[in-house]
Amino acid sequence: MTDTEAIKIVQFKGELEIGRKGEIHDALAAVHDARAILVDLAEVSYADSIALTELLRFCVKAQREERPVALLIQTPQFARLIQYAGLASSFKVFAQNAEALEYLQTSIRS
Amino acid sequence: MSRRFHAPIVLTLAFLTVVVVLLFTGGLFVRKVVGGAFRDAELVRIARVHLADMLKQQLDEETGVRGYSAVRIPVLLDAYYGGRANLPLYFRRVRADLEALKVTEALRPLHDAARTNYRWVHEIAFPLIAHPRSRQRLQLRGKTLVDRFRIDSAIIDADLARRTAAVNAGAQRAVVLVGLLALGAIVAVVLAAVLFTVQQYRLAQRLDRERSYSERERRRAAELRAAYEAEKRIADVLQQAFSERIFPAVPALSFSATYIPATEQAKVGGDWYDALQLSEDRVLLAIGDVTGHGIEAVVAMNKARQLLIGSALLDATPSQVLARVNSELVRAKSPIITALAAVLDTRTGEFAYCAAGHPPPVLLEPGSRARLLEFGSLPLGVDSGVEYRTRSVQTTPGTLIVLYTDGAIEYARDLAAGESALLRAVESAAECAAPNAAAVIRESIFSSQKVADDVAILTVRLSETGGVSVGGQAADSAISAEVRTRNARKVNPSRLRRSA
Repeated sequence: MTDTEAIKIVQFKGELEIGRKGEIHDALAAVHDARAILVDLAEVSYADSIALTELLRFCVKAQREERPVALLIQTPQFARLIQYAGLASSFKVFAQNAEALEYLQTSIRS
Repeated sequence: MSRRFHAPIVLTLAFLTVVVVLLFTGGLFVRKVVGGAFRDAELVRIARVHLADMLKQQLDEETGVRGYSAVRIPVLLDAYYGGRANLPLYFRRVRADLEALKVTEALRPLHDAARTNYRWVHEIAFPLIAHPRSRQRLQLRGKTLVDRFRIDSAIIDADLARRTAAVNAGAQRAVVLVGLLALGAIVAVVLAAVLFTVQQYRLAQRLDRERSYSERERRRAAELRAAYEAEKRIADVLQQAFSERIFPAVPALSFSATYIPATEQAKVGGDWYDALQLSEDRVLLAIGDVTGHGIEAVVAMNKARQLLIGSALLDATPSQVLARVNSELVRAKSPIITALAAVLDTRTGEFAYCAAGHPPPVLLEPGSRARLLEFGSLPLGVDSGVEYRTRSVQTTPGTLIVLYTDGAIEYARDLAAGESALLRAVESAAECAAPNAAAVIRESIFSSQKVADDVAILTVRLSETGGVSVGGQAADSAISAEVRTRNARKVNPSRLRRSA
C-alpha cells in the first residue's frame, strides 16, 4: 500500500447542519480505520454545533488512536468557526490540499 | 384542481370524442353507400323503361310493316315510320344509361340489337313495303330478326337486373353497417361509462386512503405538537429558573445580562451565564452553551453550571476550573458544552479567562474600539486530555467586558458579519451610556435580525473610581436588570468618554 493509498479522503460540501448529522457520521465512520485521513471541508461554509460535535469527536478519536487527521478548510467563514470551536488550535488545519497530503504522508512515514 | 381529478374526465371525453368521430365518419360512409344505391336503382329503373320503349318501337315498326303488307293501307305504316324516327334516340338513351351504370357487358347486346334493327329495316321492311307479294318468306325472316332483337333486349334487361341485385346487395350491406355502427356506438358509450365509473371508483378509493393518511398525520402532528409544547414549557420553566441570576454586590462593578430564548420553531437551548463573588475583590464570570436543545440540554447546562461553580470555589484559576469540569463531563459522557470562565480582580484590574470552544470575550476600554480577545481550546466533554490555557488581560477603569453565546453572532451564519455587528453593538452600548448594556447590545443586533438560537449576553463594567456598590441584582430579564442597575449604578457613562 502506497502512502497515497493509505490516506483516505472524506469530503463535505455546503452547510453542515443537524439534518445532515447521519450523513456526516456515516461518512466519517467509513474512513475511521484509515492510516491517515484528509477531511476535505474546502467547500463547507457553515457548520452548526451538532455537525461540529461530530467532527470534533471524530478528530479526538483519531488522535487518540494515533491516526493523523488533516482538515482542509478554505472558506473564511468556516475557518473562523473552527477557531471558535477550538479545532484550529488542537488539530491540523490546512488551506491547501497539497500541504494537507504532504503532512499526512510525512506522518505515515514517521 | 389537481391532475388526478382531471385525468378520468379527460380520458373519458377523449374516448367519447374518438367514438363520435368514428360514428360520424361511419355515418357519412353509410350515407354515401345508401345514397349511391338509391341513385343506381333509379338509373336502372329508367334504363329498363328506356329498354322497354326501345323494344316497343321495334315491335311497332314490325307490326306496322306486317299490317301494311297484308292489307296495303298506308296509314298502317305510321307506326313503322314513328319507330324508325324514335329508335336511334332510344338506342342512345339506353347506351347512355348503361354507361352511367357502368353495365359495360350490356353494350354488346345493345350493339347487336341496333344491328339487328338495321338488318330488319333493310332486309325485311324495305322489301316488304316495296314488294308486298313476297311477304310470307320475308315475314318469316323478319320474325326471326325481331326475335333476335327481343333476345338482345332480354340480355340487356338481365344485365340490368344483375346490376339491380348488386345495388340492392350494397344497400343491404350499408344497412347492416348502419346497424353495426349503432351497436358499436352503444358499446362504446357503455365502455366509456364503465371506464369513467371505474376511474371514479379508483379515485374515490385513493382519496379515501389519502384522507385516512391525512387524518393519521394530523393526529400524529397534533400529538407531536402537544409533546413539543409540553417539553418546551418545561424547558422554558427550567431555563427561566436557571437564568435568574443574582449578581454579586461588588463595589466598582456593574453587571447587566439578557437572555433571549430561541424562536418558536427552535427548541429552548442550554445557554447560561453566572457571576459569583469569590472574594472581596474577585468575581467569577461564566457563560456557556450546551450542544442540543430541550430538557436534556437544560439539565446538562445546570449540571455544568454547578460543576463550574464548585470547581471555582476549589481553585479559581479559569483553566483549572474548566479542566475539572471537563474531566467530570467526559466521565459522565455529557453532551458537549462550550464555556468560558473568567475571574475579574477589581483591585488589580486583571481579567483572566479561559475559553473552551466558546466565542472569545469582547473588551472595550475607554478610548479604544471594541475588540475580540483571543480564542480558546476545545469544548468541554470532548476529551479528558484537553489542556486549557488561562489568558490574561489588564483592564483599565471604565472597561466594558462582554461575554456572550454563539447565538449573538451566528444568527445569519456569517461570523464575520456577526462579529462586526456585535462589536458595533458593544460600542453603541458604551456610547449611549445605557444602564443596561446587555439590553442595548441585544436591541442593536436583533432589532433587524431574527433570533435563530438562544442568546445569552453578560456584561460587566468596571467603574472609573472604584467603590461602586451593586447589590443583589436579578438579571433574569432586561427590564428588571435595567431597573436594578439604574438604582445601584454610580458610574456616569459620559465620564468613560471623557476619560478616553
